[in-house]
Amino acid sequence: MTNILLSIKSAKKAYAGGINALDDVDITIYKNEIVAILGSSGAGKSTLIRAILGLINLDKGTISFKSDVPIVNNFQLIRNSIATIYQNFNLVSRSTVLTNIILGKISSISSWRILFNSWPKDIKIEALALLKEVGLNNININKRVEYLSGGQQQRVGIARALIGDPELILADEPVSSLDPETAKEILKLLKTTAKKKKISILCSLHQVEFAKSFADRVIGMSNGKIIFDKASDQLNELDLNKIYK
Amino acid sequence: MNNIKKNLSPPFNIKTLLLIFIILIVSTISAQRVGIPDIIERLYESTLELVGVKDSSKIGKGLSRISKEMWPPVIESKKDTNLILNFDPQNIPFNSYIEKILDKSYEINPDTLLLELVEEDILFLIEPFGYLRTVIIKIIESIEIAFWASFISIILSIPLAYYSAKNYAPNKIIYFFSRSSVSALRAIPELISVLFMVLAFGFGPAAGIMALGLHSAGFLGKFFAEDIENADKGPQDALIALGASKWRVLKLAVLPQVMPQYVAYMLYILDRNLRMATVIGLVGGGGIGQELKGRFDLFEYGHVTTIIIVIFIVVFIFDQISAKLRSKLIGN
Repeated sequence: MTNILLSIKSAKKAYAGGINALDDVDITIYKNEIVAILGSSGAGKSTLIRAILGLINLDKGTISFKSDVPIVNNFQLIRNSIATIYQNFNLVSRSTVLTNIILGKISSISSWRILFNSWPKDIKIEALALLKEVGLNNININKRVEYLSGGQQQRVGIARALIGDPELILADEPVSSLDPETAKEILKLLKTTAKKKKISILCSLHQVEFAKSFADRVIGMSNGKIIFDKASDQLNELDLNKIYK
Repeated sequence: MNNIKKNLSPPFNIKTLLLIFIILIVSTISAQRVGIPDIIERLYESTLELVGVKDSSKIGKGLSRISKEMWPPVIESKKDTNLILNFDPQNIPFNSYIEKILDKSYEINPDTLLLELVEEDILFLIEPFGYLRTVIIKIIESIEIAFWASFISIILSIPLAYYSAKNYAPNKIIYFFSRSSVSALRAIPELISVLFMVLAFGFGPAAGIMALGLHSAGFLGKFFAEDIENADKGPQDALIALGASKWRVLKLAVLPQVMPQYVAYMLYILDRNLRMATVIGLVGGGGIGQELKGRFDLFEYGHVTTIIIVIFIVVFIFDQISAKLRSKLIGN
């Protein structure tokens, strides 16, 4: 099937002390699809995302991109096609809004430009267009991100993810450090941009309501195992009770 | 409840008492060896002198030997015209004058073999601010030493810091060597290393610059490395996930976060080097210290006072400037 974007097959990862963070996990993500992973803390959501990014190595199993490219030997390709949004935004707090967005395109910028912080004009223009898209058109682009509110910082984070023209966005609890109102807005923004640009999203979430309204498909995890994997409108109480014991 | 109480260990036991006893004995012996009782006795004596109970004290006697000669500070320079090469009385420096001073000295009369008083008029060239000028020139040399030493230390500390940061060192061996050289540089006090630098670079500012530069490179290297290690991991992870190389991560995600702290360290090092640069001259490192040592050895305490006042003013001014700069940089 050419429609598959990312497939994880029998992934296993155990941390010291015998904790199974991932236990025989199979996940397939299709093009133009938003998938939410639900689960309590320690269910293995972050481990899964870090494994896809190649920040940790799996004990067993494979993760392949577009069904034929195993990520283990192709990090560069993967990293150009996958962008990430983080719980704590992971922005460079003392750098400006503009610089932080441009960092999303870091691999296409020459070392000399990086040394002197001089960004190519076309990338700057792209960054400005994205700022408008994520709803930050009234912001001073030379402001340091540490002076922005949490919601604004996450919008910068989204712009940084979008500037690399990714095919897949991984979001690691993108709204858990935001208030419910802002969280709703951010998820709405993510959804509309993803649908518009035909980007797939794999997003770990804590809140069931958010997952239902945000995702096309919801995967429930508990103790490193997949408990359910179904369309978001088919979720029922029984499923949720299984993951939030 | 009772059970828990039983399990709690008492706040002190026989071991604690034994430890206190040992500390007491060791400190008593040590205090005797280094003369703590003498310090107390002298301070007590001089307090009695101050309140008028006693006529004299050892501290008073010791300091009074030079205290009278230390004031007023000498700012004029006095030169025997006979010692000035090609002296031309018509062409003397601006604002200076020639004074005839009666010089008295005892000399042995070759005929009688007795000491006789010889009186002789000697012409002196007096420059009213001549000595102050010399001191200022010397303190400028000290400031220059401090600047160059700081510059060298910053240049040296950058690679040292990179290789001493656990998460950026290419491998364990380089990390180990870099860490040990940073510690070694820091472990040797400037006053000692300058002795060796004098052998290597000769007397004067060069030795001082190298000694101070190497020592503070150890400091900066350690501070920088620890900052790199402790920098926020989030942005670094984000950039690694984007495929950035090590140095790009360092430049874009680490440097912006630690930069204000770096500048504060650099200012501190500059500040510290300035204070040390006034001292290292004592052992041959150039600058104002050399002048201070010379005058002290010649018992010219008036000159010493001038030097100390100038050092104080310069260090004070510099302290103020660097404090302002630092707060401005960190505040933003």
